[in-house]
Amino acid sequence: MNSLVLLMVLPLFAAFIIPVVAKFSSKLALFTGPVVLCINLLLIMSAWVKVGSGAHAIFLGGFLPPVGIVFYIDHFSLLFSGLIASMVLIVWPWDAKESRLYSLYMLLSAASFGLALSADLFNLYVFYELLAVATYGIIAKQKNSSATAASLRYLFISSAGSVMLLLGIAIIYTLTGTLNIAHLATMTENLHGFAGLSAFALIAIGAGVKAEMFPVNSWVAEVYGTIPRQLSALLAGLISKLAVVLIIKMLLMVFQVQAAFDLLLVVGMLGVISGEMVAWRAKDMIRMLSFSSIAHLGVLFIALSIGGSKGLWLAIAIMLHHLLVKGGLFLMADRFSGHFDKLKGLAHHSPMSAAVFLVFILSLLGVPPLPGFWIKMALVMNLAELGGGLYYLAIGVILLATIIETAYMFNLVQTMYLKADADSTPLNKRYSASYTFAKLFALLLLVSMVFVSPISKRLKDIANHSANPQIYIHTVLPARYLGEKS
Amino acid sequence: MNALHLMAELIFMPLIAFIVGMMMVLMMRKISARLQRRIGPPFFQPLYDIVKLYGKDTQISHGLIHDIGIIMAVGGYIGAEILLPVPGMEGIAAKGGVITLSYFLMIPSLGMALGVGQCANPNGSIGISRALTAMLAYDIPFILVVFGAAWHYQSTSLIGMIEYQQVHQWGIVEMPLLAIAGLFALQGMLGKQPFEIYIAPAEIATGPMVEMSGKYMGGLFVMQTFQLYTAGVLYASLFLGGGTSFLTLLPKAFLVVALPMSIAFMFPRYKTEDVIRILWKWPVMLGLISLAFIL
Amino acid sequence: MTLLDHLFIVVFSCLIAISVVRNLPIVDKLAPVLYGLILIMLVRMASVAYGGDAYLSSFSLDLLGFKMHWQFTALSWYFAIITLVAALASAVFMSGDWGRQYREGGGNYGMLQLALIVNVFSMILLLGSGDLLSLFIGWEFVSWASFLMMVLSPSKLAKKSAVKYIVYAMTGAMALMVAIVMIYAVNDSLEFEQISIVFAQMSGSSQVALVLLLFVAFAIKMGLLPFHLWQAVAYAETPGPGAAFLGAISSRMGMFTIVLVIVQFIGLGGLKSVGTSFANMQTLLAWVAALTTIIPTYIALQQHDAKRLLAWHGVGQGGYMLLGIIMFDSIGSAGGLMHVLNHASYQAALFMTVVAVMYRTGTSDLNKLGGLVTQMPLTFLVMLIGIIGLAGLPPMNGFVSKWLVYRSLLVNGQPLLFVAAVLGTLGTILSVYKLIHNTFLGQLRLEHQNVREVPWSMLVPMLGLSVIVFITGFMPGLILPWIASVQESVGLPVIAHHLGGIEYAKGGLDMIWVSGILFYGFGVGALIFYFLGGKSKRVHQYDNYAGGHFLTSDVRYHYSNNFYPGLMHLIGTWYRGSFQWLENSIVSVMSFFSVFFENIYRAKQPVMLLLIGVVLALLALYRNLGVGA
Repeated sequence: MNSLVLLMVLPLFAAFIIPVVAKFSSKLALFTGPVVLCINLLLIMSAWVKVGSGAHAIFLGGFLPPVGIVFYIDHFSLLFSGLIASMVLIVWPWDAKESRLYSLYMLLSAASFGLALSADLFNLYVFYELLAVATYGIIAKQKNSSATAASLRYLFISSAGSVMLLLGIAIIYTLTGTLNIAHLATMTENLHGFAGLSAFALIAIGAGVKAEMFPVNSWVAEVYGTIPRQLSALLAGLISKLAVVLIIKMLLMVFQVQAAFDLLLVVGMLGVISGEMVAWRAKDMIRMLSFSSIAHLGVLFIALSIGGSKGLWLAIAIMLHHLLVKGGLFLMADRFSGHFDKLKGLAHHSPMSAAVFLVFILSLLGVPPLPGFWIKMALVMNLAELGGGLYYLAIGVILLATIIETAYMFNLVQTMYLKADADSTPLNKRYSASYTFAKLFALLLLVSMVFVSPISKRLKDIANHSANPQIYIHTVLPARYLGEKS
Repeated sequence: MNALHLMAELIFMPLIAFIVGMMMVLMMRKISARLQRRIGPPFFQPLYDIVKLYGKDTQISHGLIHDIGIIMAVGGYIGAEILLPVPGMEGIAAKGGVITLSYFLMIPSLGMALGVGQCANPNGSIGISRALTAMLAYDIPFILVVFGAAWHYQSTSLIGMIEYQQVHQWGIVEMPLLAIAGLFALQGMLGKQPFEIYIAPAEIATGPMVEMSGKYMGGLFVMQTFQLYTAGVLYASLFLGGGTSFLTLLPKAFLVVALPMSIAFMFPRYKTEDVIRILWKWPVMLGLISLAFIL
Repeated sequence: MTLLDHLFIVVFSCLIAISVVRNLPIVDKLAPVLYGLILIMLVRMASVAYGGDAYLSSFSLDLLGFKMHWQFTALSWYFAIITLVAALASAVFMSGDWGRQYREGGGNYGMLQLALIVNVFSMILLLGSGDLLSLFIGWEFVSWASFLMMVLSPSKLAKKSAVKYIVYAMTGAMALMVAIVMIYAVNDSLEFEQISIVFAQMSGSSQVALVLLLFVAFAIKMGLLPFHLWQAVAYAETPGPGAAFLGAISSRMGMFTIVLVIVQFIGLGGLKSVGTSFANMQTLLAWVAALTTIIPTYIALQQHDAKRLLAWHGVGQGGYMLLGIIMFDSIGSAGGLMHVLNHASYQAALFMTVVAVMYRTGTSDLNKLGGLVTQMPLTFLVMLIGIIGLAGLPPMNGFVSKWLVYRSLLVNGQPLLFVAAVLGTLGTILSVYKLIHNTFLGQLRLEHQNVREVPWSMLVPMLGLSVIVFITGFMPGLILPWIASVQESVGLPVIAHHLGGIEYAKGGLDMIWVSGILFYGFGVGALIFYFLGGKSKRVHQYDNYAGGHFLTSDVRYHYSNNFYPGLMHLIGTWYRGSFQWLENSIVSVMSFFSVFFENIYRAKQPVMLLLIGVVLALLALYRNLGVGA
């Protein structure tokens, strides 16, 4: 079980070794990353079976909590680890000639695994920063001025976000004297005051920069517009979710209070509305998808605001769905010309890609019987059960957003099905591996449509387990320590 | 109702309508002549006109629909007469009631419109366009009147309405405003001045009639007799208590028909839009006020 | 396995079969057979329309804790049979020559066939829904199926209007979802019965909200005011037979749900309890219906494209249906329900005649046609029967249903609604006369001298539909039992009927007599015309009185453009496009907010946003909790 530390260590090691290997053989350097990721995938799978319905904690370096570094393993964290490994594999820069890029991708994976597994705030912060550094590097690798500018602006806001995050963590440490989440979960009464909740707000907004949270997401469209589409798929599909994972951990273990839920609800709603509104005016596909992505992260925050295992399973479902759909859409966009005017007649050039595109957006809109519908239905029903004006407002916002989304998405679809003009060049590449993966995603989406019931049951199990602070506490903290407390 | 009785009604109701209608035509021509200080036509002139037209050598047809149009115009009225109860002959009034009757009255107009359309003469089409617009104009007050009467008498069958009036008072006494609105609608329905823009001879060469010759024109003459009769009897039944015998009914019907003709020459010819404007304003207003009393 | 299961299986197999063979020539022969098969399945279930029990599906789904099941009541059956007849007629119409021309013109014929069966499938699914969730799913299916049909036309306008439609449809679907959520939140159940239970428990404002949400959802589909803007253009731009099918039945799914949900489970008592005694929900809906009969009808009067004209009338006729059903008495609701079938029959026939004219002449512009009656007499006949039905004149079926509605308004003492309904009818008469005059009557254009009648594959469905229009007008008793069963199943007072029409204490209607008298009149008229008069002589169309001019083929004199100048002179200024303005202003408000948010995202100093966000969040927390806590 302790071999799972390798999940984080292997990519980190690979990141440092790749530049060296590249001196001897660039081929070898290219393949190091995928091999490491494949090993990780195998590790994750075996751990998935072993963990079963339980949970497991790994204490690094032999220090016991609340002092040492702890990794917390359960199906929730393994699920995300698996997604990280697969996504990075999918977007692996096969055609890039530079070994430094491979290193950055490995660094990014290492940080991501760390974020998914860590069980204390300090480590989470470290991995978060590591992730940020890797991301700046990758963005800045694009050799054009707009990418550099985007990267710089991203750096500014992201580091400001990190400061907020750190400030939040500092407040928590001042209040409790510990950073271990399990430990924090045992002393929630210290944290449910104004100071504690303001720490949560700071953490949420700080991490929110990566999680595309309103209003700290102004980088999204600019960055996604300048980087390769595969990378957008990675950032929009996965990295944004990892930042959410950080927020989820804090929310579910420590801050199960109405004020925290309300905060998430409000930023969620604002994100949904603002994202959809701006996407509605977009004339470029990537820009449209970026803002739509913001809106969907908003939906995710609304789901989280339900709280408890209900909120968590919905959040996981939304994340997975969004990963498939938005990831798939960005991967598809690799082949498309961006601007709407150029996309005229796409359906005649490539009926298949138009069809795949349609499947994605229909699910995104929540058209039955696609999975998106069930998620939206479950979300709305759960919000309604909570009652209360704010939750009903959220329902209204989500459904209004769907209408706006229909308008702009189908405006694009309509363009695709028009007759091609002389100056329309809908496809800019004949072949793209990303497109194959996009088709795979669409297939997965269609398959999951058939298995809605078992999948949702599974997700509920995972959520029930992961949203329970008691299990968390008992797994991480040694019995001796618990005995002392109680 | 036995079969023989029904047969008799099927034959006699239109026939009586035709004969009485011809007398009404005669009366109207007499009135208009006297108003213009002429003597007017002899008694049988309406019949002579019809016979003459049917017997003409030159009968121009513009195709089958032209023929069918005339058949529909005449036939629609023949059907309508059977729905219009008169003393001793109730026809099938109970099977449809006054709503059906008012719809039957639109069929001849539509039939004529079809026939005229087939003639491919723009003057005719313009006439029809105006005639249909006029129909839109006068049918609104008319339908208000029908509604008010039906509501007041608590019946949609003319027989029931007449019975009510025989027991109580005449409709015109109980609902004077509605009766006045009805007179307005009647003026429009009969196409008398000021609502006769659709035949405007000097402007569109008599409009719908421009391509009608011989028996086609004769058909329209027959239609006119029915039209006058229907209007007179219907109004008399709605507001003047109908009649227990023809002796009491017919004078009322003649009076009703005489009225529009007598006042017609006081008016100029209104433009189509003015026709709508006036018919949608005054009679409708009167009708609504009256309805406010009734309901 | 119940008969309903068989029906679903058959429909689904037909869907699969057509999607497999849609690009093969055999689809032409197969599709009508398959629709016939589904129709037979429906006929086997006919007992439900004669007072039998509803069919339940033996199969149900339980997803995420939501249970779904399906059932077929008299109401479902009634709408299903209309759907299938319309689909069969459209399928026959498009097979053969029309389809060939469509393919040669670059149309995707296979997709059209597929779209038709997808529509039928989704409608059956909706009609068979047994709870709110299956209703919602069927609802969405129907919306997307219509969308599929609409986007098939290659024209840019068609695509634009289809997108407009889908935005409207989504708005409706979302309104429905909120309503369902409101119901679900009370008792955690999605059964239909919950609607009335929950409605009774709700507070006044929630009741208003629920009724309005449901009504908005259904009104959008049905194209009732003020949500009517999408319909006419979208239907008019749909490829020929598709337009006939959609125009006949698609938007009536809104009527189905209104009856199913609002009439059955909220009911007259429910509607009346909402609002004040002077203006309750029933009054509101009745006036929506009345305005829907008037405004779209007069917009239709303005059109000079035949398909648009018909499509606008389709919107307008929806008003009669709602007006009838909202009266909640036996005759009114019977009229409203019956008008669904009647409208479907003549509307499909009329659309087909227009498509037939387009097939031969290539245009549906009413200013570019004329005089075609000599060339296409049977198509003319169908159109004549259709417009008599649409205008609601005896002896066609439109008259019967409108008569019932009028009668109900009269009995209920609603003079203003009555006048509104009549105003709609009169406008319709004017407009349909213009339609038939400009297409078939008047001067035949030089370029149309060689136009021939359309082939039988197109004539047969048109004639078949016009036979339905006539027979159901002549003997409304053929379908009145269905109506009575529907009324019984949704808890409305049941109409007393016989083969010729209805029995009613204060004056009934017997169409066999009424039509009989009318035909007797025509017969006598024909006798007089043919035997009493001299022999008539056919003349050429240019042999005409033209005030001294000689008419020649190079001068067009067909009076068609701006057909009712007098009327338009008066009411022309009333067409202000207020609803279009409303729609545009919603879009403008959206744009305003959109630009506002865009500016936020464009902020030069995003860190400032972060700080503002933090400060606001902390302020909010502070106000909620206070420092001391």
